[in-house]
Amino acid sequence: MSLAISARFARRELRGGLRGFRIFLACLALGVAAIAAVGTVRAGIEAGLTRNGAALLGGDAEIELTYRYASDAELAFMNQIADRVSETVDFRSMVVVTRGEDTERGLTQVRAVDDLYPLIGAVTLAPDMPLAKAFKGAKGLPGAVIEQALADRLALQPGDTFRLGTQDFILSAILATYPDNGTGGFGLGPRSLVLTRDLANSGLITEGTLFSTNYRLDLPQGADLAGLKTKAETQFRDSGLRWHDSRRGAGGAQSFVDRIGAFLILVGLSGLAVGGVGVSAAVRAYLASKTGVIATLKTLGATRRIIFQTYFIQIGVLTVIGITLGLILGSALPLLFAPLIAASLPIPTEFTLYPAPLVEAALYGTLAALIFTLWPLARTEDIRAATLFRDAFATSRRLPALRYLIATAALIAALIGAAIWLTGTAFLTLWMAGGITGALVILTLAALLIRAFARAGRTAARGRPALRLALGAIGARGGESTSVVLSLGLGLAVLAAVGQIDGNLRTAFADELPAIAPSYFFVDIQPDQIDGFKARLAADPAVTRTEAAPMLRGVITRINGRPAEEVAGGSWVLHGDRGVTYADAMPPNTAITEGKWWPENYDGPPLLSFSDEEAREIGLKIGDTVTVNILGRDITATIASFRQVNFESAGIGFVMAMNAAALQGAPHTWIATVYADQAAEGRILRDLANAYPNITAIAIRDAITQVADLVAGIAAGVRYGALATLLTGFLVLIGAAAAGEQVRTYEAAVLKTLGATRGRILYSFALRAALLGAGAGIVALGAGMLGGWAVTTYIMENTYKIIWGNALWIVLGGIIATMLAGLGFALRSLNAKPAQVLRGRE
Amino acid sequence: MPAPILSLTDAALSLMGNAGRVDILSGITLDVVQGETLGLVGPSGSGKSSLLMLMGGLEQATGGTVTALGQDLTAMDEDGLARFRRDNMGVVFQSFHLIPTMTALENVATPLELAGHHDAFTRAAAELETVGLANRADHYPAQLSGGEQQRVALARASAPRPKILLADEPTGNLDEANGSAIIDLLFGLRDRHGATLIMVTHADDLARRCDRIVRLRDGRIDMASAGAITGATAKAAE
Repeated sequence: MSLAISARFARRELRGGLRGFRIFLACLALGVAAIAAVGTVRAGIEAGLTRNGAALLGGDAEIELTYRYASDAELAFMNQIADRVSETVDFRSMVVVTRGEDTERGLTQVRAVDDLYPLIGAVTLAPDMPLAKAFKGAKGLPGAVIEQALADRLALQPGDTFRLGTQDFILSAILATYPDNGTGGFGLGPRSLVLTRDLANSGLITEGTLFSTNYRLDLPQGADLAGLKTKAETQFRDSGLRWHDSRRGAGGAQSFVDRIGAFLILVGLSGLAVGGVGVSAAVRAYLASKTGVIATLKTLGATRRIIFQTYFIQIGVLTVIGITLGLILGSALPLLFAPLIAASLPIPTEFTLYPAPLVEAALYGTLAALIFTLWPLARTEDIRAATLFRDAFATSRRLPALRYLIATAALIAALIGAAIWLTGTAFLTLWMAGGITGALVILTLAALLIRAFARAGRTAARGRPALRLALGAIGARGGESTSVVLSLGLGLAVLAAVGQIDGNLRTAFADELPAIAPSYFFVDIQPDQIDGFKARLAADPAVTRTEAAPMLRGVITRINGRPAEEVAGGSWVLHGDRGVTYADAMPPNTAITEGKWWPENYDGPPLLSFSDEEAREIGLKIGDTVTVNILGRDITATIASFRQVNFESAGIGFVMAMNAAALQGAPHTWIATVYADQAAEGRILRDLANAYPNITAIAIRDAITQVADLVAGIAAGVRYGALATLLTGFLVLIGAAAAGEQVRTYEAAVLKTLGATRGRILYSFALRAALLGAGAGIVALGAGMLGGWAVTTYIMENTYKIIWGNALWIVLGGIIATMLAGLGFALRSLNAKPAQVLRGRE
Repeated sequence: MPAPILSLTDAALSLMGNAGRVDILSGITLDVVQGETLGLVGPSGSGKSSLLMLMGGLEQATGGTVTALGQDLTAMDEDGLARFRRDNMGVVFQSFHLIPTMTALENVATPLELAGHHDAFTRAAAELETVGLANRADHYPAQLSGGEQQRVALARASAPRPKILLADEPTGNLDEANGSAIIDLLFGLRDRHGATLIMVTHADDLARRCDRIVRLRDGRIDMASAGAITGATAKAAE
């Protein structure tokens, strides 16, 4: 009964239209749209990846092995389950181009393939030709295809010749697209394709060389992928075999999209939190304007319940409108920009209308709207008929009734729970929720502090009426200060944190790392080449330091006899293969943190020295046994010591070092780092590459640039997310400015009556906006710098430096945003005729 | 006869409303001499407050001239008018119009600060004391009663010692006791500082305290009242 009456009242009140709710609708719609858009893009990418899983993988399934070919038993298994099996070999090498006296080299990621390649999908070449024809070559040389980036770098054209190791190739065509590029992840060089058999005389793929083999399987229709995976992993347990299949054909890309998508949705939620501030302010302002109506209704006998329901229904209707607008916008934008997004992504996409992300966005929108409107709605119960002509909202400071506090807490828990469930990342969601809550608390406290400072500063500002007026307005209770600091602060704080982290990372990559990092990494140095290699470098005065170590790669399969994944599945050391070295005597500069290095010429059961930090992460103790699968063979070693390994300097760092007798019989190569004068780097590379054509040099400067570019790309993504939050914050600012327009108009009218010129009043308004914006900017900068310092110090383990350029922009951004919003609404206030304004109040 | 401090010649005020042009005032010709107290009376909607606004430069005349202290207000722009008020006028409203974000003391000090007085706060404090609100100096308008708010408004209007005091139904929002106290204060301040006082009121007994009463009807001066000398002036003449 009471609901029907409330609904009737609500309908009557809503007849007035949505004029006062533009900011409410904009804030809600923008927040929901951002989340819906991110979700739709993610769904489109994931659908594309799933549908093209087999093509992205290059087969229905794939078995990957590290530094070895498949054993006879493994091959037999594959031939038994698959109709066709195609073998590819992946490794890094140098493309060498000689033109007269000049020799140029470029790092490349070679994929050596068989005649069946590509098993699924197609390779496109420019000029267009079948791959088999391209491999045939010309002038008695085998053919190869390379990506455009490499051709550009080495100024190669189809028809030119180049060398891989000791084998010459003719460049038949440019490799435009190839199917199995979704799993590669981060590669250090552009791709080259050649036939494996054409590398027989190249001297490149020998025992101990760093390469991986991939066996692509064309399975019968309807093959049970999950069952085959279990079978392969059970049958070849501890062999280092890795199974991928078309269910997640682009595993790396898919995980990346999942993670970035989840992260951006959480950034979107922070935007919704900022929007919530605007929503809450709009509802507060609306209900304040309804104080008289509410008091009158109460006078006429309406119960508190009827009043609450009346306004709850109204806000509910508006919420539905806001969310619907958001969903329309959030689903339309990705569809509108689908061709652009698809063109900028290296993976297939399928953009259409996906209901799941829209439901997810609507759920977040509903919960956020409830959280942010419940408190102001609860205040309607406190309005008494007697307060008809009092400013009840400005003076009442009581918390709402306990049931509303409990309901709000339950709604927040539901929102966090939904985010954890839907994004699938409890860790990130909880951190984000903690971060947003912490930031909102800090910003609320900061707003209180800014207001207190403003009030205190008024005494000092005596005699400067413009400043005193500005400080008075900032310090006033119920003014716009809190809204401004909250709405602007969160977006600016995220931007500041990203800017500080990105800046510190850039400094590390661009300035610090090159100074301490070696000039080159050389890999694939054969054991019989290492002495000559070292001798050449020792004789070169431009070389300041050389480090060399034998290198094998191994996968940790067991710890104390138990499967390693069970013991510490989360550790990065256990994901994929790790470098393993061996040494007899303790290498110079080794810092043992616990245990002892083995005696010289030790020949007993294998002993292991483990990196201290990673050992503690896994929970290893001295005396524990670790089983490492190297080249398909299990070696179980006992931990004899822990030592400090510095991975940050880009020098040689091995997680595991074994005693020499345990490994030196196994096929392996050497790795070396060379520190040299920058001017001599080119000459050293030429000299070594001519002497040892099979070895691969990785220029650290290039690698650092590539990593820095990748980091910059991720930072840009996060920055866009933060900008969306900032845009919502700006909307809230506009809302606050619009809500404050009446007050400003009145102030301007009174001040004009007292003799203030328009210029003086405008100056005071500008000063108010600038001071408030600077305050919000400084608080956001403080929060952002705190975040930047924590991430730089504890996660990146680097020395934090303040990035002043970014800091200045954050504060300036705060000032500009507040002034734009504030002064945009000041002109009408300034131009209003004082007589009309004041008479309107009579 | 002393020169008029405020002079209106055939002054008119028309406003454009949604329903077309509305003539608020027309043919207003009136001189107010220095030190005079003038009561503006008339029925609701007769244009009393509009005339007061015209005199204060808060409304621009659409016809005729309005001269104050020898300066043509109709020729001044908005900022010129603001400066003129700052230096010469004090206005008291029915609804007080205190700035809600300022304390009582700050409200009173504001016109003095705008005029560049270094001792603005000392003078404001003294003025508050005059109206009996020294102990409420740090209170915000919302923390004051209606009578107290009007006393602050009175202090604010008189603090810069204006030559002309304009009061628009200063007791309209107050009960009888508070209203009477405010009028005593207003006339007391006027007597002490010798300002010209022009007051809009509904109350006949209040109007009778003025030197002269001008009655308005339908936006025009009721000629029967023009130049009418009240008992107060007669008493002063004796």
